[in-house]
Order: sequence, then structure tokens, then C-alpha cells
Amino acid sequence: MGDAGLSEAEKTFILHSVQDDFREDGRGNEDFRHMELETSLISNTNGSARVRLANTDVLVGVKVQLTPVDPERPEVGRLEFFIDCSANATPAFEGRGGEELGSEISAMLTRAYAFPGAVDFHSLCVLPGQQCWLLYVDVLLLECGGNLFDAVSIAVKAALFNLKIPNVTMTKDEGGVELDLSDDPFDFKRLDVSGAPIIITVNKIGHYHVVDASEKEEECSLARLMLGVTEKGTITAMRKEGSGSLDPNSISDMMEVNTRFLCLPGI
Amino acid sequence: MPLDTRRLTGPESSQSPYNFAPVNKLDLTQLDKRPDGRSIKKLRPLFLRTNVVSQARGSSYIEMNETKVICAVYGPREVLRREDFSLKGQLTCDFKFTTFSCRQRRQYQQDSQEKDLSVLVLEALEPAVCLHKYPKSQINIFITVLQHDGSALSAAITCASVALASAGIEMYDLVVASSAAICGSVTLIDPTAQEEDALLKATVKPDNNAGSVTVAFLPSLSQVSAISSDGELSFEILNKSMQECVANCQKLYPVLEHTLVKHQQELEAGRS
Amino acid sequence: MFEPATEAKLADHCTLCVHRRGILTGQAGQYNHYVWDKSIPNVELSPLCSPNFRPGPPGEQAQVLSQNMDDLLKTSGCINFEDLCICPGKLSWVLHISLVCLDYDGNIMDACVLALVAALKNTCLPAVTVDEETGDIKTDPTTHTPLSVACCPVSTSFIVFDNNILLVDPTNEEEKLATGAVTVVAEGSNLVSIYKPGGTPLRDDQIEDCIDRALERSLEAARLIDDTLCSIDR
Repeated sequence: MGDAGLSEAEKTFILHSVQDDFREDGRGNEDFRHMELETSLISNTNGSARVRLANTDVLVGVKVQLTPVDPERPEVGRLEFFIDCSANATPAFEGRGGEELGSEISAMLTRAYAFPGAVDFHSLCVLPGQQCWLLYVDVLLLECGGNLFDAVSIAVKAALFNLKIPNVTMTKDEGGVELDLSDDPFDFKRLDVSGAPIIITVNKIGHYHVVDASEKEEECSLARLMLGVTEKGTITAMRKEGSGSLDPNSISDMMEVNTRFLCLPGI
Repeated sequence: MPLDTRRLTGPESSQSPYNFAPVNKLDLTQLDKRPDGRSIKKLRPLFLRTNVVSQARGSSYIEMNETKVICAVYGPREVLRREDFSLKGQLTCDFKFTTFSCRQRRQYQQDSQEKDLSVLVLEALEPAVCLHKYPKSQINIFITVLQHDGSALSAAITCASVALASAGIEMYDLVVASSAAICGSVTLIDPTAQEEDALLKATVKPDNNAGSVTVAFLPSLSQVSAISSDGELSFEILNKSMQECVANCQKLYPVLEHTLVKHQQELEAGRS
Repeated sequence: MFEPATEAKLADHCTLCVHRRGILTGQAGQYNHYVWDKSIPNVELSPLCSPNFRPGPPGEQAQVLSQNMDDLLKTSGCINFEDLCICPGKLSWVLHISLVCLDYDGNIMDACVLALVAALKNTCLPAVTVDEETGDIKTDPTTHTPLSVACCPVSTSFIVFDNNILLVDPTNEEEKLATGAVTVVAEGSNLVSIYKPGGTPLRDDQIEDCIDRALERSLEAARLIDDTLCSIDR
């Protein structure tokens, strides 16, 4: 991440701006950029959302599909994340260039959503022990302008909020159960996403902690802490990224910065 | 899964016999003694050895009771692709569970969990290696888990850092990793696979804590090089268990030092 | 932990062989069809064991070795495949055999065969009961029956130097310099197979010499395996 090709002088400039709590675009260290959130924009999906965070642009579509349950957990439905790093976003994603970043983002999302309270997994099960809904969450990166993980997680949550799962009726037959999907497009249920986490990344630039870093700022930071947080204030996934290391106390501080953004998951 | 044409594949419909075996549940919150007889704060004994793979530049083997991991380091070797050249050295990591290492048989191809773990190991080691000393070259780390009985990630990180050191790669510090599983108000240090499994299946109330955390620590610089957590945890509990993991890493550090001193002595004995 | 494991070590060369058991459910009437598919050996030459191997799908050498192991299992008759049948026509064991090379210093074939045989001899199958009416399968992991292994094939590899010197148990370096190789698999005083992949042609008496030495070694190695297995308490 962060390949804006900055010179030493530019880096020093950003470092100083963070020191003064007055960043290049006029924000303070703990200010997010203006965010645009749009839902229900692709009619072919069951739920979709688009998030624009300054230059970062992410589109998410969710499709639902009926599949046999996982024999290890026969009473719940499943979520799967796929990230498509389109070469439109940055030339670096051409060919297989974006694969690594894509799998990192999907791994982080998978972990953040891996706890039982994330969404109501039980409501995603159609027939316990047999059929459940599998939600394919497809993320398309349209433009990268820093803070990808946060933008993606917000878009995913919004798309899940927007999700319409068709109601299925079961009729018991001799020798089996038949599943019927209703034709009425308004016969659907929503998914409860109040417990769903979003990811907040705190970058360490110099000795200061910065949220929602732009691409330039990301290049100046040697280490960042990514946390999946829920509205209730619990942490559902944590990961350190970047080539630098962190002091244990500094991690606590960064986690605290994070908890100050707990209002965010409520969006 | 794409069809594997270069291996002998068995019938598609086979199942593990354990799928049909009765399950005995382990309740972590009502635990006075752990299944292996440890107290909840006790680490498993650590066995470390270097020089286990004769063909590698450096290698090591770690054993934490039933968790067994082997790691080999090759390089620094020349970067073959021209576009990959950089003035900083590159570190690559390949993390693999053997097919027989877990209770359920694993696939030969690297799955997404293994890819995720490769990245985590890499991120834990990168801050410790003086990569600027190895321009235009790459160092390859290969980690194979022979047997997985919990805390495989922390074992792999510790093992890999010892392998790097035994390969003579210049480093700022060793990396020691330690993990903990949290269930409700109980924090289990160095969990086994059975405990990790029970945690996944535990039916805790929504507001309760259930999760695990792994910390990689640079003991003499007193810096955390990687931290990763899973499951739903509150800020205070996570912070507390992180401190506990850091303290445990400090405890394990002398074992690593001792192993490397022994490694050096063996080298010198071999020379003279 | 759960699986029998053995490690064969010839000097600097380890191969770990572990069996993973699976239960195969087949359709009635297809029993005969499955007979040959009940053991699946695969040799992994991972990049960990030598700088010559790259990550990714197995290379030619690994594929050939896997095939060799498969042929050996089926032709030597060391396991009676009928023993793997639990419920005729319905249920049978399938042995997934993974041979993982941990340190590659030549003579991989001999190490693989040793590890394979020792692991087979160490394999225990949990008791399985099938409810005849409902068809439900139950396993009891606490009771085991050992797999019966009828014989103990041992492989002995030779390399040819300068067209006439025969060397047994070659190291990696020796293998690179060799002009030819021959592998003899023997079981007790019987010959199972001879594998000579090209290279320097050998005279009759040289081949005979190889066979004699292989037969002698097979008895020693078989004794060693038995001694080792006896020393494990289970």
C-alpha cells in the first residue's frame, strides 16, 4: 500500500503537518474525510452499496444463493468475500498485481465477520441440517485514494443492510422437503446488521496517530493497526500491518483512538 | 477447487471417520483444569532445535507438546524477475499445513487460511530483519506444520525467527510469539487445538468475550512486531491479554537465546 | 496426535510418512471398481527440503515417485485390500498416504519406501459399526485394530559411477555426478521390482550383484523396522 512516489521533502512536509494536527487537506489527525454512501444501485444484486471517501471509491454487490449446509455447522448460513482489484483503480493492479491486496482485504473481512453476533447467521439457514443461504459479497475497487480497508468495510455493511433475501416456503413431501421461492419481488426479509463490524485503521506517522489516511500519508506511515469494531465497542479482529514495529503502550493508545470512532459503525 | 492432475487423487466421496464419532464437548468457562493438566496461565514446554534441514541455509524445528513445526530459510538469492528488483531485500514466506497435520485432512494446495497465515508470519518477521543489507535479493522462508495442536501461528513465527538467525541473516532482534484464547472471563494461555475448537463452537452470550489473540514481540527492543486477534473481544480484555502475551514472550526469549548459542557452539566445534 | 506417524532417516535425509484414513462410501455393485483406489500415496517434495524445488504443483520427480509408491503398494501385496472393506459393496476404508520430504539429500526412493512400510505397519483403524436398518455409521476412536501388513518390501538404490562402480545409498551430490541408477525392491528373499531409468547400460553380473546386495539389505531393514515399531509403546 502507498505507492505515491513521494520525495523526502514531501514526506517531511506530511510528517510536520501531522505533528501540528493540521493535515494537507485541512483535517485534524482524528478527522474522517467527507463520505458519500449510496445503496441499492444495482438492480441485479440482492443488495448493493457504493462508498466514496474523497478519492477512494468502492462498489459492493451481494448475491444470495442456496447451498447445502456446512456439515460442521449445520444450523447457520455463510458469508463469502471476494475482492476484485480492477486495473481501473491503479495501474499496479494490472494482471495479477491486485491479487495479494485482494486476498488480504478478504481475509480481514472474513475474520472480522467470523464471530456469531456479526449478522444473524441463524436466520440465513433455510432448513437446519440441509439448506442455507450463502451470501456472496463481491467488492469492486474503483479508485484507490487511501484507507481502502475502512471504505470497503463500510460499503460491505451498507450492502448487507440493503440486502433483500427472498422468502422461501417449505412444503413437506413424501420422501423429502420441497423449497418454493415466491415470485413476488416484495416478498423478502432484511438481514439484521446491527452487530456487523466495520474496520478502522489507525496509522502511526511519526509519533502521532492518524485515521483515514490518504494515499500519501499511508506511504509515510511504517505501521498501522487495523481493527474490526462493532457498535457495542467490541473488537472483532485486529491486525498490524506495515514493515515497522510498535511499542505495546502505543498499541493500547491506538486502540483507544479507535474506540473513539465507535459512533461510525452505526451508520 | 481445480482438479489436481499431477497428484494421485482418491475418490471424491470419502469422509473422515471422526465425522461419525461421538463428540465430547469441552466447556471452557467451567474449567478448573485444562484437558492436558496445565493451569490456565501455564505455557507448554518449548523444544527448539536448529540445523534440521541439511540443504537449507538455516533451519529450525519447534515442538510445543503436540504442535510441531519445521522451518527452512534459503537465500539471500538473486531476484529473477527484473521488475521485482528493489534496493531493499525481499522476504517471502510460504506457510503450509501438511495434509495430515489437523484432525480433518487438509488439501495439498495452499488454501486461503494458509495464505493469510503466510502474510501474518511475514509481517511479524519483516520489522526484525535488516532488509536494507540485502539489496536486489530475496530471502525465502518455508514453514511446514507437521502437527497442529493449537497456537500454530505463534509456533511458526518463533520457529522462523530462529531459522533466520541460524541462517546468519542480519536482524535487529529475534521475534518471539505467544497466543491466548479468551472465553468469557477466562484467558487460556497457549491454547491447544481442542481448546481452540471449543472456542469456535462455544455458545456464549452476545455480550460475552470469545476470541483469540496472537502477539509477536521483539524482546530486546521491547516492540510488538505483529498482533492479530479473532472473535469478539472488549477493548479492556484484549489489552490485558496482549500484555499477558507480551510477558509470556519475554519468558520464552531465554530458550531462543540458548538454542542459538548452542547452534553457534556446534558450528564452531564443526569447524575446529 | 491422532495418526500413526513414522520417520525414516537415512543419514541427512528424512521422509515423514503419515496415513490419513478416510471412510469411503461407495454404491453397491461398484465394489470391485474401487479395489484399486483404496490407497492413495502422494510424495511431496516441498521447497522446504531442498533449494531445487519450487513452490507450486509437484514436479516431475514427485509425480514419478508417487506413481512408484502406488505401483509398489498394489503389486507387492503388502496390504490385503479386502481387509479395508468394512461393509461389502457399501463402505470401505481409504488410506490417504502423504509422504513429505523434510530434508532432501539423495536416495529419496529408499527413504520413501522405508517410511511407507513402517507407517503402514503402524496404522490402526478405529472400530466402525454400521446400523443395518438406518445405514447410520458410528466410529469408536477408542478401540483400534492394527492394519495387517503381509510383507515388508525394502528398496535399495544404486548409482553407477564411471560406467562400472556401483554405489549404494547415494547422497544428493553423488546422484548429480552419477551416470546411471538402478533401484531394486526386495521383500525377504523375493524380488518385487527392478527400476532402471535409462543411464549407463549394466552387465548381467552387475545386475545380479545389485540384486544380491538388495536381498541381503532387505532382511536387515525389515528387522530394523520391526525393532523400531516394537520400541514404541502404544
